[in-house]
Amino acid sequence: MTRREFMLRSAVYGSSLWMLLNTPRPRALRAAQETARREVLSEAEWKTVEAITGRIIPTDHEPGAIEANCVNFIDKALAHEDAKMKPLYKKGLAGLDAVSKRRFAKPFVDLSSAQQDEILAALESGKAAGWPRGDATAGEFFTTVREHTLIGFLADPKYGGNRDYVGWKVVGYPGGGHHLGGYSPAQLIGKEKIKTAWGEEV
Amino acid sequence: MPTHEEFDVCVIGTGAGGGVMIEQLTAAGLRVVALQRGPFLKPSDFDDDELRTVIRDQVFSPDQIETYRYDAKSPTETGKFSMTAHCVGGTMTHWAAWSWRFRPDDFHVLSTDGPVAGASLADWPITYDELEPFYERAEWEFGVAGDAAGNPFASPRKKGYPNPAHPGRTASARIARAARKLGYHPFPTPMAINSQPYGGRPECVYGGACQQYGCSINAKATTLSVCIPKALATGKLDLRPQAMAREITLGKDGRARSVRYLDDKRAEHEVFARQIVVAGNAFGTPHLLLMSTSGSFPQGLANGSGLVGRNLTFHHAAAVNFTIDEPARSFAALETHVALDDLHASDARRGFIRGGVVAEFNMLMKQPLAFALTGLPGYPATRTWGSDLKDYLRKFPHAIGAVGILEDLPMEENRVDLDPSIKDHYGLPAPRLTHRQHPNDIAMNRWFTTRLLDLADAAGAVDKWSAAAFALPNERAAMKGSAHFHGTCRMGDDPKRSVIDRWCRSHEVENLWIVDSSVFPTSGGYNPTLTILANAYRVVDHFVHEAKRQNL
Ligand SMILES: Cc1cc2nc3c(=O)[nH]c(=O)nc-3n(C[C@H](O)[C@H](O)[C@H](O)COP(=O)(O)OP(=O)(O)OC[C@H]3O[C@@H](n4cnc5c(N)ncnc54)[C@H](O)[C@@H]3O)c2cc1C
Ligand code: SF4
Repeated sequence: MTRREFMLRSAVYGSSLWMLLNTPRPRALRAAQETARREVLSEAEWKTVEAITGRIIPTDHEPGAIEANCVNFIDKALAHEDAKMKPLYKKGLAGLDAVSKRRFAKPFVDLSSAQQDEILAALESGKAAGWPRGDATAGEFFTTVREHTLIGFLADPKYGGNRDYVGWKVVGYPGGGHHLGGYSPAQLIGKEKIKTAWGEEV
Repeated sequence: MPTHEEFDVCVIGTGAGGGVMIEQLTAAGLRVVALQRGPFLKPSDFDDDELRTVIRDQVFSPDQIETYRYDAKSPTETGKFSMTAHCVGGTMTHWAAWSWRFRPDDFHVLSTDGPVAGASLADWPITYDELEPFYERAEWEFGVAGDAAGNPFASPRKKGYPNPAHPGRTASARIARAARKLGYHPFPTPMAINSQPYGGRPECVYGGACQQYGCSINAKATTLSVCIPKALATGKLDLRPQAMAREITLGKDGRARSVRYLDDKRAEHEVFARQIVVAGNAFGTPHLLLMSTSGSFPQGLANGSGLVGRNLTFHHAAAVNFTIDEPARSFAALETHVALDDLHASDARRGFIRGGVVAEFNMLMKQPLAFALTGLPGYPATRTWGSDLKDYLRKFPHAIGAVGILEDLPMEENRVDLDPSIKDHYGLPAPRLTHRQHPNDIAMNRWFTTRLLDLADAAGAVDKWSAAAFALPNERAAMKGSAHFHGTCRMGDDPKRSVIDRWCRSHEVENLWIVDSSVFPTSGGYNPTLTILANAYRVVDHFVHEAKRQNL
């Protein structure tokens, strides 16, 4: 199908993938699920990234990014496929805390949800007072974490997010059809139930 | 006597055009060497892992680099713009398999609609009637499933489809019902996917992640699943994956003599052949010709006309997403199951000429990341994060897409050439795309978007939005790349106004052939590939006939 490149490629991978080519290290996927082992983020950074993901896909009557362990997906992506984005995260997280402290005199993790949203909205618009001068812009950092959060929520759990399939359960995706043996004509029109990747019938 | 091995034919690119050439040339007993950038993948290399395949693009084009600019005065961006698959089997390896015959007037746009300011319209040098038997052959080789009586606006045909149409999903039934309500004539989209075992390949299991994926059971007909195995079985094919052709050399006799190529470690090799077929698609073919300069061809091989790389067409798409009050199951089965052709015919009273086919289309909601990342632009949410985002994501099971595949008008300034400064992964000049839309495209895109919104309403849409991923909302909006790429080496009778003749043979270099999407003078309002395949069967028949008469 036809497309317009900038919309249809993901923002994170679309423009930068070609520069990342030299790091195609197939990694042990099991490592991605070892949530206890931080590979890139410090303990404090982990908490901050987790808090951001929690505002991007918040928990309501259903689980959100925190329950899906999106931060673990991000940590593992930064350790491997997205290693070139490490500096953006390091600078971005420092910038986020600088902006939070300027506005509310506290680091991001200690803010209320409403305050956190205000800070993130400022980053998104690129008008974040206190953001350090330098190459990484606030908007770029926000876009990257937002997209990483979505990927952590909705990619296969083997990548370290979407824990216990919560992302797929929230959006109503049964999992990759081919792995589940495909669908019968009756299933295509709802005359028969579909089995999900986690063994439920829906 | 040459001291090196000389093949009968060297084919560069193993996609739709190249795959058919390779299959038929080896069947005729000719010794063929095929050069293909990228790996030779097996069905077991394919799965429906959305992150690996689509988002991170680690399977089909990890090493692609191109540049894009709107026009000669605009800044250049570097990235990936065309959706080529660089692997044995070419881009069909991850195609969706919509398989159309063009309409008779698609071959004669200039004489049907007359000249249009700013557009370089041209007639094809061939007619629908000449191509008709080869459309039939392509449909039967690739096992197209469809209902030959379904589309009242279809081109005349002598024989039906080899396989019955596929069953649809809830979304397809909704669109068909809505279309009928509006007085249209919906019918099953013809697909080169097995609806029953055919050609030694099994029937489709409707797993869902089909377009942008390889098929792990070969139910999808591709040159990789249909042509390459047959060609290898003849023992006449020397298939060389990981071979990036960088230059076609010219002999003193004015004939193409050899192809120099780089392997995946950038080491250079050379292969000699009596005939050379370039089938690298509308980007790869001009890229290679423009890199092949010599004393006789300072502006690129076979480019005396200056037209190599020009008249690039992409199609444009109007796309609308909507949700319904029951599960739509867009995540299952094929990219499309139902289409309508009522809006296709050219009618200048609409404010534009030409048109296109309309169809159900699950590209933006076939998997959750597609829906989250590419389905969202255009959705009327206040914020693209927080509870707005989460509420949007929960609409996934109810979402349906509809699209118009729309003919764009060719313009000489829209082109592929060599980037003067950016190098690609092989250290070669990156292909540079220059592309903007003709005003006719913008008007057509808007008109079709409105029709699609009406269709969504007739289908009982709860929410509906024009998919910003495709829309051409203003005069400066442009397709920067596409999955449908045509033009750049037009065929025609006049050597001053075309690159190749009606047999897809260079006007200037007699043993050089171009058989791929780049030969299209105009783009047609249908997905292009059955036409590429049919044209390749037509050309190869002529090629083999001439070879037997020792005329090559
Ligand atoms: C996601 C997707 C879905 C699609 N779905 C449909 C559909 O449903 N219906 C339809 O009609 N069309 C569809 N298309 C379009 C279709 O795939 C193309 O029209 C068709 O494959 C083009 O055929 P081709 O022979 O011109 O080139 P390709 O199939 O692109 O093959 C050309 C090959 O040549 C190789 N190559 C280029 N230059 C060189 C070089 N210098 N050296 C060595 N190798 C080289 C390239 O790597 C490529 O693999 C789809 C495309 C995409 C991306
Ligand atoms: S939906 Fe059918 S044709 Fe497509 S990949 Fe799955 S099995 Fe193959």
